[in-house]
Amino acid sequence: MRLIGIREMDVDQIENLIAFSLRLKAACRNGGELPSLHGKSVGMLFLEDSTRTRVGFEQAALRLGLHTTSFGMQGSSMSKGESLKDTVLTLKSEGIDGLVMRHKCSGAAMLAADLFEGPVINAGDGMHEHPTQALADAMTIIENRDSVAGLVVAIVGDALHSRVARSNIWSLTKLGAEVRLVGPKTLLPKFPAGLPVEICHDLHSGIQGADVVMALRLQKERMTSGLISSTGEFASLYQINSRALRFAKPDCIVMHPGPINRGIEIDDATADGSQSVITQQVENGVYVRMAAFAYVFGLNGEQQRKSKARSRAS
Amino acid sequence: MKIVLKGGRILDPSQDLDVIGSVVLENDQIAEIGTKVDERGADELYDCTGCWITPGLVDIHVHLREPGYSHKETIITGTQAAAAGGFTTIACMPNTDPPLDNPALIDFLLDQSSSPEAGGVFVAPIGALTQEMKGERPSDFAALKRAGVVAASDDAFPLQNSAVMQRCMELCRQVDLPVATHCEDQSLTMGASMNEGAMSAVLGLRGMPRTAEEIHVARNCLLSFETGCPLHILHVSTWGSVAIIEQAKDLGAPVTAEVCPHHFSLIDDQMPPFDTHWKMNPPLRTKLDVETLISALAAGIIDCIATDHAPHARHEKDVPFEQAPFGIVGLETAVGVTLTHLTHKGLLSPLETVRKLSTRPAEIYRLDAGTLKPGRTPVAQVAVIDPDLEWTFDVNKTFSKGKNSPYHGCVFKGKTMLTFSGGEVYRDQHWDKRPQVQNA
Ligand SMILES: [Zn+2]
Repeated sequence: MRLIGIREMDVDQIENLIAFSLRLKAACRNGGELPSLHGKSVGMLFLEDSTRTRVGFEQAALRLGLHTTSFGMQGSSMSKGESLKDTVLTLKSEGIDGLVMRHKCSGAAMLAADLFEGPVINAGDGMHEHPTQALADAMTIIENRDSVAGLVVAIVGDALHSRVARSNIWSLTKLGAEVRLVGPKTLLPKFPAGLPVEICHDLHSGIQGADVVMALRLQKERMTSGLISSTGEFASLYQINSRALRFAKPDCIVMHPGPINRGIEIDDATADGSQSVITQQVENGVYVRMAAFAYVFGLNGEQQRKSKARSRAS
Repeated sequence: MKIVLKGGRILDPSQDLDVIGSVVLENDQIAEIGTKVDERGADELYDCTGCWITPGLVDIHVHLREPGYSHKETIITGTQAAAAGGFTTIACMPNTDPPLDNPALIDFLLDQSSSPEAGGVFVAPIGALTQEMKGERPSDFAALKRAGVVAASDDAFPLQNSAVMQRCMELCRQVDLPVATHCEDQSLTMGASMNEGAMSAVLGLRGMPRTAEEIHVARNCLLSFETGCPLHILHVSTWGSVAIIEQAKDLGAPVTAEVCPHHFSLIDDQMPPFDTHWKMNPPLRTKLDVETLISALAAGIIDCIATDHAPHARHEKDVPFEQAPFGIVGLETAVGVTLTHLTHKGLLSPLETVRKLSTRPAEIYRLDAGTLKPGRTPVAQVAVIDPDLEWTFDVNKTFSKGKNSPYHGCVFKGKTMLTFSGGEVYRDQHWDKRPQVQNA
């Protein structure tokens, strides 16, 4: 199996993965039984900088008894000019059972999966998708609101360049939410017709009545390439803070897929405030990645092979 | 040697001819054409019932890749692909390595293409617009023209600097050499790999806005009007470019334009996600663009069809979409795509179809081609096309080294059956399956 993008998944698959993640979370907390992928190996092909996501996958692998081997750009044969195709085919020939891939190019995970013909998880490809992050976000919303259906979700900031935004758009709308993208014209898709979203350039109307407000990271590069005039201007127009949140529902939750630029897309007080579920998103990321491993390796909720969570971690 | 092409539909736009008749080739020349010809003493007789007999097709936008990139295509494989597509004359682009910016390289190219293996296909070289295609100093156009180039172009490296373009046009005007331009303001297309539209938004690919093309179409048309230099706009892909070209022509600017088969038959939304065989520059656009391009072609605002045949090796396309090179092969699908999408839909008459694929492109670069008039081409150049043959395109069975085509597996109606260029004959495998009447 492969987990490349939420767009190609159906509602059942999404719901099952989240339900599975919730069960894994409970099992981990109560020392319950976890599925085992002991004896399997997975290549961690991180061809773009990422610490958070890689650590999340490594943690998840550890809890399932999966062996991981890391490959970065530096020190790998790809730095000597080997193509992605040859790297993937080499790992396959060497008997690696599965792949987790992060790449700077949109579509790279699909290419790798087509070549690898085995379990592949997309850990983020260019501006395309980041499915495990979106599943963690949906799981977090469900923990706080029971259901995603009927909620209004405002995704604020640089959605144009964001794979997290794309994956979230698909998962949240498939689960029945209404999604709004809020940001300046230069940071939102000019032709959004293919995305089931509403576009809003004004923060206040964009988060009006929202149940969930999700801030996106603003890359410094957007300023140097002239897409916004300054981070200060962006913050004054689109920062999520207590003033902005007055327009959302009083009990709305605040999310951020990280890494956070405190003081730019979100202020300190809000990031650490009572409405923030940011640390919960990070924690859930691990359970989602465990579920993702189990899913691509063909284990569903009804695990055939079980083992004690603690016994292997020691 | 006497060859008779018997009883086909003769379509010769150079003399507005559309009749059922026969064509006689004698000693590599067209000897006779008409409803009653002298068949006696024919060495070979081809029954062309149900087929079109047309001037050899002319493609004025081909990348032959030699010298420098013979792993993508060679002059020989490229000309063989041309013959299989019905083309007897092609103009090749200068973005080789080294680029075709001096007479010695033009000599090499002409020499290679006149080898017997090249299937008799005539290659008309297009010279580099600037030295080494660096976009700085104009090439020596007088020397290039003496060596045999038919135009000068910046294709693949669109000139960003308007002053350089203006000077190149002045100098080309002086030696009466057409300038062919790839219109793209690259400040608007940095890092982009497909049309900016709904699909690019979904796939998370940076989009090439239509305005990036149109700004340079407008600029180059204005410079052509100012300098009087004949300007040929390569691969027009947007309705906005069409509007600008129409206006430029109305003003009296010496402007011509071409459209590629993929730009009038495919749109960006149809692309299978991240399929690099659908990546070309300019990119596939939208339905409105396709409709506008087709009506502009029919109305003559766009003068002709050209393939922008751009072969690449398999490993070069087996990479993430954004890292793949632009371009698709086109010589062996041009007739199938054009007849299927334009002629059989009634959007272009058979005679006009042949005009866009042969007579008109020959006129643009003033090539001795695109006609069946005896003595008007160096040797007889004739294509026989079965307009009704339905066939499935298999990219693994092409002559071109490049297998980068979005049309693999597509069913087309219309195929080149025979291509004659002087003494050379290309014969499609489908020809032998035709029910034959009595040989002579
Ligand atoms: Zn071009």
